[in-house]
Amino acid sequence: MKTKLRQAVILGLILIAAGLGIFLVKSVRLGYPVVPGATATIWDFEIYLEFEGRDEPARLEVYLPASDVQRSFPQEQFYNGPFGLSLVAEPETQNRQAVWTYRFPSNRKVLRYMAQTVGETMATPLPPSFTQTEPETIPFQSDLIKRQAFIVWAGDLRRRSADDQSFVNLALQESFENRAAGEEYADEIAVLLDGRTSTRARLELARHTLHSAGIPARIANGVYLSDSRRRVETKHWLEYHVDGEDLRYFPEDPSGRFFTIWYGNAGLVDASGIEELDIQIGLQSHRDAAIDVVRSSQGSAGALGRIFGFNDLPLTTQLVYKVLVTIPVGITILVFLRQFIGFKTLGTFMPVLIGIAFRETALINGLILFTLLVALGLGLRFYLERLQLLLVPRLAVVVIFIVMVMAGVTVALTGTDQAIGLSISLFPIVILTMTIERMSIVWEESSASEAIKQGMGSLAVASIAYLVMTNSHIEYLMYQFPELLLVLMGLCVLMGRYTGLRLSELWRFRQLAQ
Amino acid sequence: MFGAIKALRRNGVIGINERNIRYVNALNARRSLVTVDDKCITKQLAQDFDIPTPDLYGVVRDARDMKKLPEMIAHPDGFVVKPAQGSQGKGIIVIDSPLKHGWRLSSGRRIDLGAMQFQINNILSGMYSLGGQPDKALIEYRVKFDDVFGKISFKGVPDIRVIVLKGIPVFAMLRLPTAASDGKANLHRGGVGVGVDIATGETRQAMQYDALIEVHPDTAHPLEGIHTPYWDEILMMAARSYEMTGLGYVGVDIVLDRDKGPLLLELNARPGISIQIANRRGLRFVLEKAMVLGDEKHSAEKRIEIARTLAFDQEIEIAS
Repeated sequence: MKTKLRQAVILGLILIAAGLGIFLVKSVRLGYPVVPGATATIWDFEIYLEFEGRDEPARLEVYLPASDVQRSFPQEQFYNGPFGLSLVAEPETQNRQAVWTYRFPSNRKVLRYMAQTVGETMATPLPPSFTQTEPETIPFQSDLIKRQAFIVWAGDLRRRSADDQSFVNLALQESFENRAAGEEYADEIAVLLDGRTSTRARLELARHTLHSAGIPARIANGVYLSDSRRRVETKHWLEYHVDGEDLRYFPEDPSGRFFTIWYGNAGLVDASGIEELDIQIGLQSHRDAAIDVVRSSQGSAGALGRIFGFNDLPLTTQLVYKVLVTIPVGITILVFLRQFIGFKTLGTFMPVLIGIAFRETALINGLILFTLLVALGLGLRFYLERLQLLLVPRLAVVVIFIVMVMAGVTVALTGTDQAIGLSISLFPIVILTMTIERMSIVWEESSASEAIKQGMGSLAVASIAYLVMTNSHIEYLMYQFPELLLVLMGLCVLMGRYTGLRLSELWRFRQLAQ
Repeated sequence: MFGAIKALRRNGVIGINERNIRYVNALNARRSLVTVDDKCITKQLAQDFDIPTPDLYGVVRDARDMKKLPEMIAHPDGFVVKPAQGSQGKGIIVIDSPLKHGWRLSSGRRIDLGAMQFQINNILSGMYSLGGQPDKALIEYRVKFDDVFGKISFKGVPDIRVIVLKGIPVFAMLRLPTAASDGKANLHRGGVGVGVDIATGETRQAMQYDALIEVHPDTAHPLEGIHTPYWDEILMMAARSYEMTGLGYVGVDIVLDRDKGPLLLELNARPGISIQIANRRGLRFVLEKAMVLGDEKHSAEKRIEIARTLAFDQEIEIAS
């Protein structure tokens, strides 16, 4: 007895935990949107290289976005022309390069690389291999003057800062300090920058300074995903890891999203054997359903969605499952209404079936139609009772009668704007007939009021089930996260062991509650 | 609301959920249910165990049996037609006496052979059976009820429902037909339920439609303090239903016949819980005690002794 209860509770909780676990992984970790209609901006990213061949061996090394970074990176394409392509990965910098080669290119050549991305945000975490602590290093080993200047400046920064975070802030602030023309920098910074005041040079200096304090830092190069343009400038920023936090420093204002292409201070393209190289980075945005974006992405995110989802099924089958997966929701609600509230209904699962039938007719029309058909059917049933027909033929007569009434309603309403006439076709006649039969037995054996009470109870449950099952959020959740079926199953297992009183029993036993 | 829940807990009131999980599902093996679901089998078993039941005049299984119907029902004192697998008194026809070209129903209306055959055909086609399976119709002796309850019954036969747990009678209730219930003793149709003391067989408080009442709604006769005759026999019949069916939790319906004494009418593997209102106390405490004390090895006499002790203890508890 006790062990059975414990077993049921454990089973129920395991089912709920499993379902919720998969759901949370998908929604929180992998970014599956939990509300319908969420859209994401997809960026078509393109590197376009145009150049003139010189009839000598040509080699173009171009950095490509590395796909091992934690960001959505759905697909990529190469347009090679006659060139040979090899991909080279640099594991320690996490860079990836496309190497295009051709022995004797002549006249104009075009090479293209295209990828789709949703980019990164400030919240995108840095890879763990990067955030591991770096050994402290002192740069400029070969240049004694710079080395000396660096030691003085870094030591000064360390004195003026309280911790790593403030050290970083100071280093960045002073590396990027702008001086009006003629005004001198502090001696050390002037020496260290050595007249190069570009963003990359300053980032390089900041990176050295951070490294000298044992703070992992790297220069990232990429683009800002702000608007669709044919030619986009590459931007540079610093990524560093301080006190367990992944941070990024953008010398220029970042737009909300950006897209990293490569790390380090090399240029995007390293070319030899060609001339008149024109590099264009193109960006084009379009909006897409967020759920499709996640699902079509590579790696675990997409795979999980494909395993626990219906999107690989044929379209017609998908439509069937869209309805099917909501039925367990209706059933679970029915179980709750029966076990906890104490609703009285005609037949066990019949209200849910009526609720499904309401999908075709919408709620109000469905209720009107249902009441009308049941009332007419009951009338006929009572008349047939007097003819003393046998049960099965009597049921058959009621079925035929209901079909006739439905046909009559359809014909009568054709031409008017009522959709009821058209939607009626799939109203489940057999369910209606059984409802009529059950109701008439209750009517005779108990009372008219009991029959009407149970009929109303059924309709109420059917309406609740219908409203829940057709709720767009519920439909979406159940369809995109079918693992929630496990949660429903677990809930039903738990409700199956509920031994407490029903709400209706509080009323029924009110005399004993004093 | 929470106050009500607390009070009901304190009074040991159980709901349908608890009855189903703790008692019906736990104690009534599915294979044993057939002994109560089919009244033909119940009758047969009762005979084997020398438990008296109303005489069986005949069974209608199909159209061929229907031809023999006039012979089966040729009884001047009337008869009862009931579905073998019916529940809650559905589909039962009670015939008082033959009339010219027909019979008089207990409700006073008239019925002819055609209408009766139609009703029986409805029974055969499973209109009243669980799940609508084809059924049989039983034709049996109509009980002539004992006058002891004559003043508190209206048009119909009162019966006694005893709840038996592991062979120990724990709760009892007298069910009385009323005008509202159309001569039937079912509580949900408006019959009156009167709590009966297991130890003495004396009637106590009463209820109708889940509310407490003092007097019969039709006859205005007080319901309390009537002694049920044959109480020892009734308790014994109820207790022995355990050996007979193997069901650990069962409602035993017994009717008192003027001439034949107590007769076993039917058994119910899912007895209702309104009996708690009639007895003004919840079932839980006595059920839990009986669960501990109940043992298959106990004789029926021993179990009745336990039942009386439990009932006596309960009275003391309530008094204190």
